[in-house]
Amino acid sequence: MTPEVEWKKVSAELLILSLVEARPRHGYEISKLIEQRSGGAVRFYVASLYPLLYRLEKRGWIQGRWVEKSGQRRRRYYRLTSEGQKVLASQRRGWQAFVEAVNRITEAENA
Amino acid sequence: MPEWREEIARRLSSLKLDSSRESDIIEELSQHLDDRYLELVSGGATDDDARRDVLMELNYENLPAQGRLGMVREAPQEPVAPGKSGPNFFANLWQDLRYALRQFRRNPGFAVVAIVTLGLGIGASTAIFSVVDNVLLEPFPYRDAGHIVFPRIHGSTQTPDEGRQGYSSDELLEFARQNHSFESVIGTADDPVLYKRGAGVEWLYGADMTPGSFEFFAMPALYGRVLQPADYKPGAAPVFVMRYKTWKSRFNSDPAVLNKIFVLNGTARTLVGIMPPRFGWYDADLWIPKTPHPGISTAFAGLPERWFVLARLKPGVSTAQAAADLTAVVNRMAKLRPQDYPAQFQVQVEQIGHSVSGHFESTLYTVLVAVGLLLLIGCVNVANLMLARATAREKEFALRAVLGAGRVRLVRLLLVESLGLAIGGAALGVVIAWGGLKLIVVTMPPDLIPAESVIALNAQVMAFTLVLAVLTPLIFGLAPALQAARRDLNDPLRDMGRGVIGGFRTARLRDAAVVMEVAVSLALLVGAGLLMHSFLALRAVNLGLQADHVFKTILLLPPDRYKTAEQVSTFFRPVLARVKAIPGVMDAAESSSVPPESGQDSKVEVSGKSPAEPWHAQVQNVSEAYFRVLRIPFERGRAFTEAEINDARKVAVVNRKFVSTYLSGEDPIGRRVKLLGLESVADSLREPWFEIVGVVGDVANQGAPGYGSGGLQAPIAPQVWVPYSVTGSGMQVLAVRSAQMPMALMNEVQQAVWATDPGVALVYPDALEHAISQGLYAGPRFALLLMIIFGCVGLILVTLGVYSVLAYTTAQRTHEIGIRMALGAERANVLRLVIIGGLRLVLAGVAVGLVVSLLLGRAVEAQLWPGVKPYDPATLASTVLLLLATGVLACWIPARRAARVDPMVALRYE
Repeated sequence: MTPEVEWKKVSAELLILSLVEARPRHGYEISKLIEQRSGGAVRFYVASLYPLLYRLEKRGWIQGRWVEKSGQRRRRYYRLTSEGQKVLASQRRGWQAFVEAVNRITEAENA
Repeated sequence: MPEWREEIARRLSSLKLDSSRESDIIEELSQHLDDRYLELVSGGATDDDARRDVLMELNYENLPAQGRLGMVREAPQEPVAPGKSGPNFFANLWQDLRYALRQFRRNPGFAVVAIVTLGLGIGASTAIFSVVDNVLLEPFPYRDAGHIVFPRIHGSTQTPDEGRQGYSSDELLEFARQNHSFESVIGTADDPVLYKRGAGVEWLYGADMTPGSFEFFAMPALYGRVLQPADYKPGAAPVFVMRYKTWKSRFNSDPAVLNKIFVLNGTARTLVGIMPPRFGWYDADLWIPKTPHPGISTAFAGLPERWFVLARLKPGVSTAQAAADLTAVVNRMAKLRPQDYPAQFQVQVEQIGHSVSGHFESTLYTVLVAVGLLLLIGCVNVANLMLARATAREKEFALRAVLGAGRVRLVRLLLVESLGLAIGGAALGVVIAWGGLKLIVVTMPPDLIPAESVIALNAQVMAFTLVLAVLTPLIFGLAPALQAARRDLNDPLRDMGRGVIGGFRTARLRDAAVVMEVAVSLALLVGAGLLMHSFLALRAVNLGLQADHVFKTILLLPPDRYKTAEQVSTFFRPVLARVKAIPGVMDAAESSSVPPESGQDSKVEVSGKSPAEPWHAQVQNVSEAYFRVLRIPFERGRAFTEAEINDARKVAVVNRKFVSTYLSGEDPIGRRVKLLGLESVADSLREPWFEIVGVVGDVANQGAPGYGSGGLQAPIAPQVWVPYSVTGSGMQVLAVRSAQMPMALMNEVQQAVWATDPGVALVYPDALEHAISQGLYAGPRFALLLMIIFGCVGLILVTLGVYSVLAYTTAQRTHEIGIRMALGAERANVLRLVIIGGLRLVLAGVAVGLVVSLLLGRAVEAQLWPGVKPYDPATLASTVLLLLATGVLACWIPARRAARVDPMVALRYE
């Protein structure tokens, strides 16, 4: 796989990994955060979000766990694993490099 | 709060997850949906709206991050490696199939067009294959039918088709005794029989069978028994067996006829067996035991006995080896009786199917190739549709790839979709084939196929269809599938606007497909055009007579009472007088045959000539009115007079070919010709010298094609007509010219015949024009009809193909066209742009198609009329024009649509 293709493939994963980095979150929360922070430009619905979560979990990058809080239904929270942290760091670096590269190209055009 | 669990569970059910995993997922997703629902309601939505929106999001597909719950199980799974069937292989396949069905439901127009297109192709192929299978591959139900052969002897100047396949008893016995190639040898001979039924008399087509015949065929009787060795012993009780079809149609399937005694040609015979439906050897109604005896003998109608010889090859012996073996046998016999053989001859040994199908065989194979091409066009069309659709679905594929579906998996998904279409097409195809076969059985000339053939969908045919259903998706589905999988699959967050047009490679593939189907269609149309040209040439051949308004029937005279010339004349004189008295009848004649059938072949000698090689001519016995009834024009001399017929004078009329061949321009009138054939009939003549009194134009006399006859393509043979009153031997045909529809005479002619002798039967009564048409034109007309139908279907498919591709690409270019028009392009320019784009493909296809047609032309050349060449410029030009016109039509509609594009609307797309 060429590096370029790799970037496109990881971008969706990057979003999710970043969102569960600071603290564990449940699926609905993740989808709301993506929508809010992107100003509504990017939305993940049920049918696309959960398959992605399950795949990341299967790879061992995040881990889901049922958490019960008193007076509430139990929820499944996803947290970043140590392996996930490495992947996130690497993807983030790569993504930034990619974005900078794009910026350099587009800015050069504007100059 | 709405309940989502059931909805979610339904979607998960096909995944066969283990139960704890499934309940976890259901719980998690239903919580998500609850949250979303509450959010929407608190945002002011009504309960119903919120519920609907949530469910829609559960299904939502058309977003960058689209996906399906169906992916839930698929996502964590690694791609299935090629050839490796993982534990979930069949579950995946099932899932793919269900997905494909949902796709078709969502886009029924596409599915219907694809299935109908494939159905037409598969249906036509199945129908024609089942004709080929039943007529050519497995026509005979007999034991080891592939090794049953028959010999044919032809002179060095003749083609094998013109060769002799009837043999004397001596020849039959010597073949059986001297050969080293055959397990067994049998013979069959014509033996039409009259039998009394009620007050009248009917006739049946009997066949004499030599000892061992039924052991040879090895088919048991349906009821009763077959002929046995004891039936051939001297003094054995006379018996016969009957065909199933005859038993059903003539005797109402009455079981009581078994073991009854029938008086056949004056002999009381017991019906001992009824054969199963598919036993139809020699197309006979009944089979009669007869032992061939050495020496010259005569049979039916006093003509020399002629056996059709069948033999079964020993294991490992080829037809060529058998032919060499028989050549040695025939050479020995030719030394003893040189007069029976051409000076230079060859012996051929052929499989039986060929004896009947003959020319028709190549016709059927041509048609099979034609439907194969049709199927190919259909496949290309569907492939094109799928390519266009694949472009529209590229986002779906991209997402699938991101969610972990490997390329193999994607290719498989698309192939499963193709398979679904092909199975639908095959199902429709079977229905089309079933209907088509009914139509074919009705329109197919029956004489061209073996009597034993039952044209129907059978196991082999269904297997053929199944193979087509599995192979066609590979043809039309693989290219789009690979194309889709090859593309850059990975951009799930790509822009929400319009996608990039097809991609360069897809566009090229689509163009190539159009070029190919135009080429194939051109080849098909050229084939149809050539056959049509050929058929017109065939119809234009002058038969040498006027066949309209002529009624003809064979009269079958009881052989025990009509042996001599005097007996036959005594019958015919009053019959002819009575028939001529029928109102509307203009003239009536007796003849031993009617065109295009020949007379009896005979050696001839001409006074004052002593050729090195024996001369031959067709000899026909006629009454004086014969030339008037058929309006055969005289070129010299005169017709027979009534007195010459009544006195059985030895006078003759010859055809132009006879004069040009044997008398090379000399005056034939007054010459004498000796007809040696008349010496060897039952009522024979001694010193059969005849004086030539007239010359007529050439009349078709080579019979209908097939059955060893040349048809109209064979050169007309020298022919001699003599008064029918000179011999009592030979067939008797009544020919009547009428002012009205010929068949309207049927009953009155029958009354006239029975008023003279109620023991005479009318056999094959027909209008001569109809009989000639059936014999000479039905086969080529049938082939032409099929080719025209297939050519038209191909043309329609190609039109659809060109149209759909142009419509698709034009729609994709709306934006570009908008810009062009915004920049000042006129509508006419746009129109030209699109039409030229389309015609470029059509022209490329025509160029390729012309090359293909010229290559294929050699294959059909054998079926064409000699004057029609496979590169016939008129046919090629008109076909190309037709295709170009169709191409313009197919381009016109999308072009018009493009020209109407409103620049503002088009640009707003961005």
